[in-house]
Amino acid sequence: MALVKLISLEKIYQQGKIAVPALRGIDMEIESGEFTTIFGPSGSGKTTLLNMIGCLDKSTSGEIIFAGNSINQLSRNELADIRRYNLGFIFQSYNLIPVLTAFENVEFAIRLIDKHSKKDRRDKVMHILNEVGLGDMAYRKPNELSGGQKQRVAVARALIKEPKLVLADEPTANLDSETSEEVLQIMKKMNEELNTTFIFSTHDPQVMEYAKRLVEIKDGRITKDQRRD
Amino acid sequence: MKFLINIALKNMFRNKLRTFVSVLAIAFAVIVIVFARGLIDGMIESSYSMYIHYDTGHIKIMDQEYEQKQRLLSLAYTVDGIANKSLSEMENELLKLEGIEMVIPRVKFGAAVSTEEELVQMMAWGVDGQKELKFTNLERELVEGRMVSSGNREVVMGTELLRRIDKNVGERVTMVFNTAYSSFQGATFDIVGRIESNLPLLNKDLVFMPIDTARHLLYLEEESTELLLVTDDRDKAINYLPAVKNYLSANEGERYLAQEWREGSSFIQLLQVGERIYNFIYIFLLLLASIVVINTMVMIVNERTQEIGMMSALGLKKKDILKLFILEGGAMAVIGSFIGSIAGGTLTYFLSDIGINYGTAIEDMDILMTTIIYPNFKLEHLIFGFSLGIVITSLTAIIPAYRAANMDPTEALRDI
Ligand SMILES: Nc1ncnc2c1ncn2[C@@H]1O[C@H](COP(=O)(O)OP(=O)(O)O)[C@@H](O)[C@H]1O
Ligand SMILES: [Mg+2]
Repeated sequence: MALVKLISLEKIYQQGKIAVPALRGIDMEIESGEFTTIFGPSGSGKTTLLNMIGCLDKSTSGEIIFAGNSINQLSRNELADIRRYNLGFIFQSYNLIPVLTAFENVEFAIRLIDKHSKKDRRDKVMHILNEVGLGDMAYRKPNELSGGQKQRVAVARALIKEPKLVLADEPTANLDSETSEEVLQIMKKMNEELNTTFIFSTHDPQVMEYAKRLVEIKDGRITKDQRRD
Repeated sequence: MKFLINIALKNMFRNKLRTFVSVLAIAFAVIVIVFARGLIDGMIESSYSMYIHYDTGHIKIMDQEYEQKQRLLSLAYTVDGIANKSLSEMENELLKLEGIEMVIPRVKFGAAVSTEEELVQMMAWGVDGQKELKFTNLERELVEGRMVSSGNREVVMGTELLRRIDKNVGERVTMVFNTAYSSFQGATFDIVGRIESNLPLLNKDLVFMPIDTARHLLYLEEESTELLLVTDDRDKAINYLPAVKNYLSANEGERYLAQEWREGSSFIQLLQVGERIYNFIYIFLLLLASIVVINTMVMIVNERTQEIGMMSALGLKKKDILKLFILEGGAMAVIGSFIGSIAGGTLTYFLSDIGINYGTAIEDMDILMTTIIYPNFKLEHLIFGFSLGIVITSLTAIIPAYRAANMDPTEALRDI
């Protein structure tokens, strides 16, 4: 069974009196363990699509099936629960909480789930920070970290709760190419080690190279969908 | 919840100046509240005790008719015993009632002293000197000589009154007055003591003499214009009142009137209404201070839009985000209120010792109030200011917090 299934998904933004169609009928299935990139020019609908899959926004028509259940009818709080327990997010502008250390930023995500003891939590956070190569920077605040390091903290934050799916909207857009590769490498490593499903958007050809599945989107429609090994 | 508190507290330090200004605004409002409450409390407390000491006692007994004629200092309607019993028997019976600890008789009448330039009017009180010393704070204000003692033709006067008649302690004074039979009489007294008080009544209007001397000169029997009852606790006087009323009406029907101190004075009733009105002023003051906090919070919410989106994406619900921002506003409220109540308390504490002199402003008003107010330092006022500061400010912080909680996550996350 597909982890996520999108059926004739449409999203139309209403801008005053003008209707702006951002997605015009998307059909797609994402299997567990995939490492997928959604690429396309700016304004093609990548962010909108990721927001739909990430249960952050509702579609105008069509359906999203997440792990076998349709999410169309869920309330705002129920969607928040799905995100809390099943999804990880990585953002273009990192969105770390500036007053918390790297450790605390990562811990934040599992504090919400709250089933771990303090010691368990500590071990898990340190483990994941070591995995992304930041074990010795755990107690630095975001402003004491480079862009790449910040994004690696964000990766750790997304992965700490071992979500079914991690969504990353242009995660490398603020990074130089060398750092971009570092971050991608870590994401790929996590995908392979933990079998976490990743979907990330980009318009950078160099970044696309890492994906095992490439989905091209133009003007709100999928124009290409290919798998590689 | 604990980690939300932790983040909220740390968030306060993100823009220290702004937090500082908000905290300062709350602190300032709370200072004013704590101090104003102490001041008003001091005013009320001092006028309560002035009225109790020099007008009403805890319970005042007088003739029904006398109530209307008090100002005329009439001698026609006195308390002269009950049923067939004498005044002293009546006093003893009153003392047996629950809570009554002392019965103070006073004979009030008008008198005058003629000097070379003018006729100086005054109010004469025939009193039991020992009882007055015990009940009032005359002991402290008797700055020269001694109190009047029974059997003697002697008086004690206020400093200002002595100055007006140009006399000193140790000298003699001749006073004229109307007797109970409305005949005009004069008598000469030794001045044995001088009172210096910041209560204008005591300082410039009142002359004390022994009650037996007064009765003798006025052709009164064993009678008083009024009886003041002192109870073990002024706040319980209202509970003791029914027994006193019963005793009076059972023996004497409608003739005597008994009033609790609060009923006895419209000024006290006015003060009590005032006390309630001030509470609204305090709340209004805090709402003004809260505007600064709301403004800060609105800026905070705008700046952290992306962060709110991130938190929402991570699965924080509306109520969590609401909590986070209310906690941040609440923390400012707690700190501001704490600083404010301590500073306000300190200010009150110092001024409660020194007093605030507003001098002659009330000197000629017909109320029993001293010219120096001592604010009343009470922990209760600190706690009041502290709690009110927290409650009002936190409640107003809900408005911007609600805005944050209601943000649409995709909108919040959108890069500008
Ligand atoms: N909130 C919105 N209101 C109106 N139009 C929007 C909104 N969000 C996105 N759009 C429009 O939808 C289209 C797709 O946008 P987006 O998904 O952000 O594309 P991408 O991420 O590929 O750049 C664009 O034309 C954009 O202007
Ligand atoms: Mg985008």
